[in-house]
Amino acid sequence: MSASGSGPARGSRGALWLLIQVNTRQAWRRLLAVQEQSRLLTALIGGFMAGYLALAFFLFYKGLRFAGTFPGLGQVLVERMLFLLFAFLFVLLLLSNLVISYTNLFRNRETLFLLPLPVPAQTIFQWKFIESTLLASWAFLFLVAPLLAAYGLTQDVPWHFYPLTVALLGLFLVLPAAAGAWAAVHVARRLDRRAFQVVALASVALMIAASAMWFKPEPFPEEQIETRVLVVLDRLLFKTRFAQFPWLPSYWLSAGVQQWAEGALTAAAFFALVLLSHVLFFGSLLFTRMGERFYLAASAAQSRGSVLERWGWFRAWQTRQRNLACRRGLVERCFAWLPGVAVDVRALLVKDVLVFWRDTTQWGQTLVLFGLLGVYILNLRHFTQNLTTPFWIYLVSYLNLAACSLNLATLTTRFVYPQFSLEGKRLWIVGMAPLGLPRVLLTKFALASGTSLVLTLGLIQLSCHILHLAWERTLYLSAAVVVMTFTLNGLAVGLGALYPNLKEDNPSKIVSGFGGTFCLVLSFLYILGSVVLLAMGSPWTRRGAPPPWLAASCWTGFALLSVALGWAPLKLGLRRAARFEH
Amino acid sequence: MIELIHLVKNFGEIVAVNDVSLTVPVGEFFALLGPNAAGKTTTIKLIAGLVKPASGCARVAGFDVQTHPLEARQRLAYVPDFPFLYDKLTPWEFLRFTGQLFRMDEERLERVAGELIQRFNLEPYLGKPIEGLSHGTRQRVAIASALLHAPEVFVLDEPMVGLDPHHARVLKDILKERSQQGMTIFVSTHQLSVAEEMADRIGIMHEGRLIAVGTREELREQSGTAGALEQSFLSLTAQEARQREAAAAAEA
Repeated sequence: MSASGSGPARGSRGALWLLIQVNTRQAWRRLLAVQEQSRLLTALIGGFMAGYLALAFFLFYKGLRFAGTFPGLGQVLVERMLFLLFAFLFVLLLLSNLVISYTNLFRNRETLFLLPLPVPAQTIFQWKFIESTLLASWAFLFLVAPLLAAYGLTQDVPWHFYPLTVALLGLFLVLPAAAGAWAAVHVARRLDRRAFQVVALASVALMIAASAMWFKPEPFPEEQIETRVLVVLDRLLFKTRFAQFPWLPSYWLSAGVQQWAEGALTAAAFFALVLLSHVLFFGSLLFTRMGERFYLAASAAQSRGSVLERWGWFRAWQTRQRNLACRRGLVERCFAWLPGVAVDVRALLVKDVLVFWRDTTQWGQTLVLFGLLGVYILNLRHFTQNLTTPFWIYLVSYLNLAACSLNLATLTTRFVYPQFSLEGKRLWIVGMAPLGLPRVLLTKFALASGTSLVLTLGLIQLSCHILHLAWERTLYLSAAVVVMTFTLNGLAVGLGALYPNLKEDNPSKIVSGFGGTFCLVLSFLYILGSVVLLAMGSPWTRRGAPPPWLAASCWTGFALLSVALGWAPLKLGLRRAARFEH
Repeated sequence: MIELIHLVKNFGEIVAVNDVSLTVPVGEFFALLGPNAAGKTTTIKLIAGLVKPASGCARVAGFDVQTHPLEARQRLAYVPDFPFLYDKLTPWEFLRFTGQLFRMDEERLERVAGELIQRFNLEPYLGKPIEGLSHGTRQRVAIASALLHAPEVFVLDEPMVGLDPHHARVLKDILKERSQQGMTIFVSTHQLSVAEEMADRIGIMHEGRLIAVGTREELREQSGTAGALEQSFLSLTAQEARQREAAAAAEA
């Protein structure tokens, strides 16, 4: 028998059932606690979800209708979009399952608690696999539900299409989950956490770069401008052929859904059976053969130094770092150049920058979000010669402003909002220093705003440059994004101090509380309101400059909104910090 | 009984546990001491089967934790320095959950849980979620749940952290009592007073090696010091460090 205890799995089913029960009870109580803690939060989350579902359904419905009416090619386009969407979602699910399984299997305290108990490693793996699948897949279901409802409605399908689709989705989800969990176990045996993060980020960056290259639009000569739609469609269909590769599980799902919608029930049943057979095969392998591998990987994950240490250059670099450890680091030397910054404030800035840099999650997510936006804006240059009408230029410039701000709102809520709560656990250091908590808060605000500005202002400048906007329009949009950056950071810092969670060490758990959700919703509402007001008050609308009273009202509205959602929360947060009892 | 036979564990190039051999007989209270990064926690993890040794083996109640893990774990209880508890459960629910994982029958589970609850003074907290309990109370819940299935071997990493003097006393009494009833107890601690007061034998680890094992008096003799355990401990670890330095210098 092996160390995993995968031999005589005594009562393993009972143990699995116990684990499911106890974790379900935990999850249910968490939900109840949220509801009891704040009805407003429950209403906010409920409203937000319902709003998303309704809006997504509406947009998918309109989009599918629009694509379906394309002369001669409507059905082909709709079909290809469906295959493409599921193919991309399959890759995303694969990555998300890999990351979540890795964390859940090897960096989870429940796993460490269970390993010394008389529970077979196979059972622990089974439970963690179920948990990881649920964690990685719920958002997928939330995302595709309105699409499939809209697809069903546009195709005028019978009622049984909907339950069958749910069943197909359920089967489909198991495959990326199984592949992700299997990969996570093998990755954990060979890579430590940091190496894994670096490899994962490099893979994502490579995929983004490859996609950007593959989907790069090609310019058209003037003489083809009239017939370009057909050429574009032809190229598009060619470049997206990979989504119909018959060995992709997403192909079986898409084909099953499509065939059922068209009434070809036998063909749909065939694809459903293909999915089912793969799920049963890989599922049974995973449920019966992974215990030993999981145990060995868990042991390796807990008992190794960095895998990078096998390389001489890394060891030499570490030795050099150790020798330099007692000297001032690069970040500190850079900040020393900042004039007029007190030593204590500088120390706080250096600490925050180092923490950000050493947390791969933080800079990784920032890089991915803004990297994607950068790739998109850079690709706009291929369209600019087709963006000939002022209306499209006007629309795209404001859409870019909205996209940039939405990205920023995601990051401020995820990383800036929990800053005060995270500091809360270290209040014995920062809170007791003569610096004072309000100045700590202001320093965090300044650092977050300064860093964000480099990204948002840079992207907006790039967008204006690529859209060939005149300098006064560039100035208008740049001023807008500067105000929005300060407001979003002020909101996150202020609400972070107003709704602190000092018990929690995990930033994602801090964000999922009332304050974090409130911050995200307010940020989104602010962006929506601001972009609408700025677009309406813009002197360069399709119909020319708006009447002076309208422009003035819009700008005043934008300023008031920014004060109410940026300055006011920050002010309240500072007041709270000044009176903070710890 | 715990048997460690030529146990070795490496973390990359660092040897965390270096050829450790030790037998802790049935009913003995054994305390493992050592400076930080001496390899105490890794040794405990090897006993608990959390990590696989590079070579050698660890046996609990006669069962190799690598080849017969379920049999070994059925007879083992392990409480780490910061134990994991399900925050949204109440102590009562957590105790029941642990007992069920060890496949205790209902009647025995309720009886033993009742005794432990009383002993650890947990009645006022039974219906409250664990997330709201103080560190000391959580520690008591963890230890009570570990004792529930009457393990033959009890392994604890820094068990007194967070306990107030009253409950530290209660825990010491329970451990002593269980040890007298035949439970093998293996404690890793930095609190020399705990080892001095409770342990039948004491082991001292330094840089992965078990440099000294014996009763309080035997350690005093080995170190050539008189007086408190602290002096023996400091002297033995300093001697070992000097020997290492001399060996390294000779090699160089």
